[in-house]
Amino acid sequence: MAGLERPARRAVIVGGLGGLSAAAIAACAPSAPEEPAGGEEGASSAGTETLTIATTTDVVNFNPVVGNSRSDQWVTGLMYPRLLTIAGDGTKEAELATEWGYVDPTTGYYEIRGDFAWSDGTPLTAGDVAWTLNAVKRDAPSGTFYGQLAEFVQATAVSDTRVEFTMTAPNSSLVDEIGFWGCVVPRHVFEPAGSIADFANDGSGGGWVSAGPYVLTAVQAGQSYTLERVAKYPLVEGGVPVAAKVVYRVFPDVNTEILALRSGEADVIANALPPAQVEQLRGTDGLAVQEATGLGYAHMVYNMDNPDLAKTEVRQALARAADYEAIRQVALSGQAVSTGSSPLMPVLARYHDPSITEYPFDPDASRALLQRAGYTADADGMFGLSFRLIYSLQDSVTSQWAQMVKDSSAQAGIEIRLQGSERNTYLAQTNDGDYDVYAGNFAIMDDPVLNFSLSYLPGGAINYTNVDDPALNELIAQGARATDLDEKVAVFREAAKLVHEQVYDNIMYTQNLFFAHSDEWSGFISRPSELLSIINPVSVASATKSAS
Amino acid sequence: MSIAAFAARRLGRGVLTVWFAVTVTFLLLRLLPGDPALAVSSPTQTEATRALLLTQYGLDKPLVEQYLLYLAQLLQGNLGTSFTQSVPVLDVLLVRLPWTVLLTFSALVLTVLVGVPLGVLAASRRGGFLDKAVQVFGVTGQSLFVPSIGVLLLFVAGLELRWAPIGGAYSEGTYGGQWYLSVLHHLVLPCLSLTLVQLGSYVLTLRATLVDALADDYVVLARANGLSERRILWKHALRNALLPATTLIGLQLGFLVGGAVLTETVFAYPGVGRGIYEAVTQLDFPVLQGAFLMLALTVVLANTVTDLVYGWLDPRVKAS
Repeated sequence: MAGLERPARRAVIVGGLGGLSAAAIAACAPSAPEEPAGGEEGASSAGTETLTIATTTDVVNFNPVVGNSRSDQWVTGLMYPRLLTIAGDGTKEAELATEWGYVDPTTGYYEIRGDFAWSDGTPLTAGDVAWTLNAVKRDAPSGTFYGQLAEFVQATAVSDTRVEFTMTAPNSSLVDEIGFWGCVVPRHVFEPAGSIADFANDGSGGGWVSAGPYVLTAVQAGQSYTLERVAKYPLVEGGVPVAAKVVYRVFPDVNTEILALRSGEADVIANALPPAQVEQLRGTDGLAVQEATGLGYAHMVYNMDNPDLAKTEVRQALARAADYEAIRQVALSGQAVSTGSSPLMPVLARYHDPSITEYPFDPDASRALLQRAGYTADADGMFGLSFRLIYSLQDSVTSQWAQMVKDSSAQAGIEIRLQGSERNTYLAQTNDGDYDVYAGNFAIMDDPVLNFSLSYLPGGAINYTNVDDPALNELIAQGARATDLDEKVAVFREAAKLVHEQVYDNIMYTQNLFFAHSDEWSGFISRPSELLSIINPVSVASATKSAS
Repeated sequence: MSIAAFAARRLGRGVLTVWFAVTVTFLLLRLLPGDPALAVSSPTQTEATRALLLTQYGLDKPLVEQYLLYLAQLLQGNLGTSFTQSVPVLDVLLVRLPWTVLLTFSALVLTVLVGVPLGVLAASRRGGFLDKAVQVFGVTGQSLFVPSIGVLLLFVAGLELRWAPIGGAYSEGTYGGQWYLSVLHHLVLPCLSLTLVQLGSYVLTLRATLVDALADDYVVLARANGLSERRILWKHALRNALLPATTLIGLQLGFLVGGAVLTETVFAYPGVGRGIYEAVTQLDFPVLQGAFLMLALTVVLANTVTDLVYGWLDPRVKAS
């Protein structure tokens, strides 16, 4: 640049930097869409509107058998159908499958619809279902689906619409659980990519292929995910999704989502509302709040590796040292129901046992239990018992009630030391058993066989109590084998009674979930849990914008 | 020292700085509690699945081996594959980089465009009302925190006044010229937040050096020679006062990049900063390593350019 005068040099540098930036951004500029392909002409109910759904996280992985985040599940859920969905009482309902059950105690089957097709025109057959199941079992991807396949052996497509699979031992819940937690991916797209666990499915091979109501067409990581209506979706009235496009927009947190909803930048908030916001949004003009049944629970777990907590009386004393009703009223603004301190929550209507009642808040009873266990109170009324309670700081509700538990436990002479941590530390502590008391929650605990196995059997992935009770183990095994529903219910009620008496788990409440949307949109079909709520595929495909 | 030797020395120092940043990032990430397998998997996964994932990520190897493999990979220009997204890290970052460049560059330009006149105004009216007002503004600006100012702007300008969008980098469904306008519209609030938090220090530095410059002998001489106050201020004194301010710009780039992480998170702006936030929550080591490498390179490059520009602005530096 020796030949240039200084002002000219400056101009070159500034212009160069600006030009580079502009060129880079220009590379991001979207091209105008081409005219839609044919196939929608006959769809009288089809609209031209875009439904914008707010979420707080990016899609991490577009492969539905790998992605675990809510956004992963929501976005890929609009493309890869599940065999079964779930009703308000936790029972499974038909989605892609029309019939399901057992051929014999160790062979399950699904009969699937014959009118589903992938968006590239390839029919969706039992071959896709069988291939998906076998590939997930073979390659062990990190998603939830693989966790359901412990007793699964192999699937076979016995016809275009029927899949049968074998299992290692009789399990009366396996067909339901695989059907609900699993999804179906297009074999002709996924198989050539090699391991299903490593396939990014990021659309780089010519876009996405969907058998749901929408297909992903554009991604701006960190900002938005645009899905367009497919030509045919048999599960929605009229056979065609109503909204022409669905856009998932990423916002930093639920408060910003609420701002976006109020300003009209978003039409629906995918995340459940914080309890404190529900009433306020109910009273806001232009917004509607819809409820979805909660299928999970919040609980405290006492680590039995701690010698004091290994004593039943100590766990019983702790269970009576929390004011559950106050917690529900204060931390959850009354938007939660008692489970009767039972893992068989009222929402699981067939299983719930009303004779099991909530632990009463009774510090005097706690003290009596501790004295019976040989502990003596000091001059301050404290028994010398001190436990470290861990919780995630990202969970604002738990953070709030953990403090209440600390205060109420002190009344019973027990010291609780709170240790809130960011999520990854909390997960590591949980995994390492590095806690005395664990506080947390599960979003979906829909099936007693699975939940009891994971929570209370030795080696269970979420057996945070470290319980190994032969009587309970036998009941769980018996329940898993039972094919008669009445027998199964009776066995699990017995097991729940044992869990309750021994305080192997302290189930505190099921939270009622509320979701906000613009009142310009209607027709949502609510399903249980935050995972499905009003943004399950059928609901999204049915949502209609009123003419303004 | 010749310009080539000067540049070579700066380059050598830059490479050393980048290596140091890469090593510290590598080690710090592995000191974080938890592990990536826990962060990305279902809570119902078994220990065997977790172990399988750790092997797949290469985290089962001894730390030294992991480090050497990573360095070897870097030397081949390979940033690795994202744990969570199963795609090359470079792809993950390149999609986001233009937005961070746009945001930081805009904020930098706006800072200079607003900062220089404000600094000159304050210095030329030293002790007056305007000077005091600029100083109060400068000190206040320095004490602002990106998320606070961001949330305030979102609420006031985004929700109440509806002047700007709540988040994102552009509106869906816009194309061509409309898309560019949408990009500018979405840039307003994040750029303003980032500019506001760094403008104060820039203005105060410029004011202080300009006040000093205005007391120098050459200014007295210029006045004696009958040069206009305007010419003295803008042509002579400002030229000298710009030297420390230029250094500050270079230093501030590091701050800007850090600020961009917060700004992009608050405004859901799809840049590298927002990507870092997401990768931290998922403990996606390769993406974090790649992002920090990219940021370190940017800062080193900016500082090198600042050094060179400094020499360009002040011939005495080049001569020494």
